[in-house]
Amino acid sequence: MATALSLTDEPQAIRNFSGLDWALLLSALLLTGIGVVTVASATAEMPINFLPRQALWVGIGLVLMVVIAAVNYRTLVDLALPAYLGGLGLLVFVLIAGQVGGGARSWIGVGSLGGQPGEVAKLTTALLLARYLSSVNKRHLEIKHIAIAVGIVLVPMVLLALQPDLGSAAMFVPMLAGMLLVAGLRLRFLVIATLVVAAAGAGLWTFGMQDYQRERVYTFINPAADPLGAGYQVQQSKIAVGSGQLTGKGYRQGTQSQLRFLPARHTDFIFAVLAEEWGFLGVMLVLGLYAVFLINALRVALRARERAAVLLVVGTVSLVAFHVLYNTGMVVGFLPITGIPIPFLSYGGSFMLLNFMITGLVLGIDVRRYANA
Amino acid sequence: MEVQREFREDLNGRVRLITVLVAVALVVIGSGFWFVQMVQGAHYRELAENNRLRRMTVRAPRGLILDHEGRLLVENTPSYNLLVDRSRTADLDDSLRFAADLLNRPLEELHANLAKATEQPDYQPIPVAKALNLAEVARFSAVALEHPEFEIDVGHLRLYRHGPQMAHVLGYLGEVSESDMERARAEAGEDGKVRYQLGDLIGKKGIEETYDERLRGVNGARAVVVDSRGHLIQEYGRQEADPGEPLRLTLDLRLQQAAERAMRDKVGAVIAIDPRNGAVRAMVSSPSYDPNMFARGIQSDQWRALLEDDNDPLQNRALQNAFSPGSTFKMIMAAAGLEEGVITPSSTVSCGGATVIYGNVFRCWRAGGHGAVSLERAIAQSCNVYFYHLGKALGIERIEKYSKAFGLGSPTGIELSNEIGGIVPGPEWSQRVRGHEWFPGETISVSIGQGALTVTPIQLARATAAVANGGRLVVPHLVEGQEDPSEAQVLPVDDRVLAAVREGMAAVMQPGGTAYWSAHIEGVEMAGKTGTTQVASGVAGNEASTPWKLRNHAWFTSFSPVENARLVVVVFNEHGGSGSGGAAPIAKEVYKAFYGVESEDGNRP
Repeated sequence: MATALSLTDEPQAIRNFSGLDWALLLSALLLTGIGVVTVASATAEMPINFLPRQALWVGIGLVLMVVIAAVNYRTLVDLALPAYLGGLGLLVFVLIAGQVGGGARSWIGVGSLGGQPGEVAKLTTALLLARYLSSVNKRHLEIKHIAIAVGIVLVPMVLLALQPDLGSAAMFVPMLAGMLLVAGLRLRFLVIATLVVAAAGAGLWTFGMQDYQRERVYTFINPAADPLGAGYQVQQSKIAVGSGQLTGKGYRQGTQSQLRFLPARHTDFIFAVLAEEWGFLGVMLVLGLYAVFLINALRVALRARERAAVLLVVGTVSLVAFHVLYNTGMVVGFLPITGIPIPFLSYGGSFMLLNFMITGLVLGIDVRRYANA
Repeated sequence: MEVQREFREDLNGRVRLITVLVAVALVVIGSGFWFVQMVQGAHYRELAENNRLRRMTVRAPRGLILDHEGRLLVENTPSYNLLVDRSRTADLDDSLRFAADLLNRPLEELHANLAKATEQPDYQPIPVAKALNLAEVARFSAVALEHPEFEIDVGHLRLYRHGPQMAHVLGYLGEVSESDMERARAEAGEDGKVRYQLGDLIGKKGIEETYDERLRGVNGARAVVVDSRGHLIQEYGRQEADPGEPLRLTLDLRLQQAAERAMRDKVGAVIAIDPRNGAVRAMVSSPSYDPNMFARGIQSDQWRALLEDDNDPLQNRALQNAFSPGSTFKMIMAAAGLEEGVITPSSTVSCGGATVIYGNVFRCWRAGGHGAVSLERAIAQSCNVYFYHLGKALGIERIEKYSKAFGLGSPTGIELSNEIGGIVPGPEWSQRVRGHEWFPGETISVSIGQGALTVTPIQLARATAAVANGGRLVVPHLVEGQEDPSEAQVLPVDDRVLAAVREGMAAVMQPGGTAYWSAHIEGVEMAGKTGTTQVASGVAGNEASTPWKLRNHAWFTSFSPVENARLVVVVFNEHGGSGSGGAAPIAKEVYKAFYGVESEDGNRP
């Protein structure tokens, strides 16, 4: 089936897009449009014009989405192992030769844009995990299956942690958790996994974390302890969000965002800008769009033809869901501040491309649900 | 693959579980937004509108500077600065004009200060005028209701207690410049912390510059809630500032002030150092300036006046100015001659008032001549003919070698910036710098400290200290605890040679010596050497009737007591006439302060 790169091999139904989940696609496009508009507002006072760059990122993302949707996902699953190894190769390359950006060696220069191979590795790792876990055709996973799945994820995680980009490394956890859960995790494994994660967390805290990361956790537990650092950001984010009230201050009228109170306001805190300018109504609209996207994406898993497709959808959508939930939770003051952008809204970057690739993957799986390939 | 064999119902059941979890999480987060925006919204709206949460810098007080005895030389006093909060004024230009009128300061100055902070967010108050007096502070408080954009902030103002005294040693502060910032960014440590932030004051000259790192301390920060007039309501958190270290100088305020008094209205420099370790006890450069002007923020007309002053008050004449040493150089010539065996303490030369060498006539300052002179008398009476013959016998290469051994020709390494090295001339120097060969006659001029040879007062003090301490070339220093005995180079000169030179210099201060009449203090054992540098040939350079600019420069170098000396004093008085008349009396005042002898006007120094 390696010839699936050609559309003409596909049944008529796929070429007609008759099975396309329009609600899923439309919610992604609407969120992207809202993101472009909000980034323009957040960056209005900045010396660089972000609009053309954002448009470029979106353009590349849409092309990638269509390309990935067009490729038969089975081909991708078949190629999972070389893809996974390629992803690891990129991570190693970055460790050796990458540019230092934001304190971590995580960027590969691609023209003026730059890309983070960590995002590519997430996708390739999801492919291998789906391939492996789908081969375990049992009601429940056994310990050795879990161990292998954890091993598959651990290698890129360690490479990312070495950069050191712990935030990116942590993103593999919701992906793995979603896939394992769906693949058939016994309750007792869930309990054990919780304990293991807790122990790993303690180990990470003691040996793996840098001081600034520990401080962030402290700050989360007690924001008043560090009002000059991360606590200040939490407070400013809540002031921006809260002051939006029901209807918001209006487009480009957000005093907190416009007056540069908010750090990273076009990336990690773009949702705070949105909440300030569009108010609670705007927040509800956008959260509603995310709900449509996520629930529809998970419904694709329900009707997918085979186990590998189900796992691939669940793993990648779990990743998107985690970003949405964490970022909004952070902006509203529920969760500690860390560099987690919000899908489709945050300014550019390879993370935006990853979201479009995942969307393409899910759509591609969906249109092939009846195919007898 | 068949769906049944994949346990599809189990699979889908778990996908539904995840869907429910995501939906519940979204609802929880949505409720969070409802709580923050709808329940607490009004509270946050108020906070946002008044921009009340602010991050402020807590400036670290700069380290105090003390003299050797612990007397306070530089301290900090409270200073009131005017800040403007740009988000609270409808017309910023109008506000600045109002402030400029009230303070009677140029509007451009306020604009210039504001322009330094364009990168800062609007709500962050920006200092536009520094060092307000209390009356001005009161006037701003009176108009606070009409002008909520103004705030008064209490900071530290550097106070140089003795004004222009020691200005060249202490230096002054200035705002961090763009090039300072670039340097600091390049030198940022592992933690990415840059040493300065814009608006910081850093040492620009003198001790303030050299020891800036130790004096500056580390700024702290505060997060505060302020009301709509900028007044503090609540402190949200604070990170204390780490004050700068105090610095104890080697200077002795009594000696310093005695030297300052003696140099009043004169142009030149006085240096007093401890020959045993190089500790600088006094350093005067005259004319001086008041570093407090820089602390308050120097006005452009004051700055221009300093730059345009013919006598360049900003220059530290003790180390940024080199002149021919005149006869003070004979001290080094004598040491070289004895060490090389060209002369002995008892060998004599006959001085008839002039001598002919290489076909040229070289004159002694005493037209009638000195008769037969030994080394001791040649130094005591500064006989030129003796040293012409010594110079001829030594040759320029050996003169060059010993001059450099005594530290001439290169900076001494004192911890002040922009020290120059002076010139020790010779054949190689002549080719390199002047592009022509060395003339033998020049050797004869150099023998009495004239010609191309130039030294700074601090170099001469260091060379004299080496004569006094038995041949160790100490590094002059200004901060206590900086001396390192291993650093002192040992001269290639035997102490018996130096003892003979000391004897000659002691004779200078005895009846018949050139400085006895002008610098002798009853009961104090001293040694010295006068020097007079000709400024214009064919002019009676020592006469009061000669225009000041054409008068000779006066030098005097000295130490006391003769053996185991504890103090070296060098005086350079530009256009001061003769060494004995224009320089030695100034050194005498320093020694009187050192030994606690009553001044002639009856005041204890």
